[in-house]
Amino acid sequence: MKNDFRLQYPLWQMGFIILLGAFAYGLSSPMTEVVNTETENSIMISIGGTQSLFAMIALLLYFILLAVFASQLRKHNKNNPHQKVSAFSIRPPEYLEQDEGMTYITRKAAQKVYTFITWSLPLLAAFAIILPLPKLFIIWGILLVALGQYWIYYREVRSHLKEETE
Amino acid sequence: MLKNRVKELRARYGFTQSDLGKQVDVTRQTIAFIEKGEFSPSITLALKLAKALQTNVDELFWLEGDEEDEK
Repeated sequence: MKNDFRLQYPLWQMGFIILLGAFAYGLSSPMTEVVNTETENSIMISIGGTQSLFAMIALLLYFILLAVFASQLRKHNKNNPHQKVSAFSIRPPEYLEQDEGMTYITRKAAQKVYTFITWSLPLLAAFAIILPLPKLFIIWGILLVALGQYWIYYREVRSHLKEETE
Repeated sequence: MLKNRVKELRARYGFTQSDLGKQVDVTRQTIAFIEKGEFSPSITLALKLAKALQTNVDELFWLEGDEEDEK
């Protein structure tokens, strides 16, 4: 169970979210020049040197992580033909619901995540309304909430499964 | 809180958690949760467990405090 891909799934998502946050930083505050004349129609977007490097590294790491993730997913699905995981399913694949005991821990973890979301999203919205936050900070805030929900879910499920004895 | 004798009876019959799980069609983890008292099984699962461990549901599960009342 500890090596179950479904259990590790939130960690993969957290990795993707962190890289997305880094990519968002790399793309923040680009210079946009729009030319719209009778003879020319063009848009030029330029990003700062360090920031563009950051964005490129984040994007590269993102694709590397995506490749490793796809390979692990394929491996899991090959080894578990009756418990395949789809990355494109609407239903989160990290739900462990093969019987009533596993459904119980999934429900407990999902309840904690729901409580977190109930508080964090309105708080984030309030901060965004009250404080003159730059767009990047709001994006980071949303990603932080996404990161938090996966971390809460993973920790809760993990705490139930870590003391396994025969 | 629901108390139980699942671990005790399982050991008596020499079953591992996996063995018992297979008999009642649940994962080993679910058996572990029940033994730890972390999770109360459904009536269906309680009946299946009692059957697998050759006992009655009320011999296998009881509410905390009921034991003292009987004394």
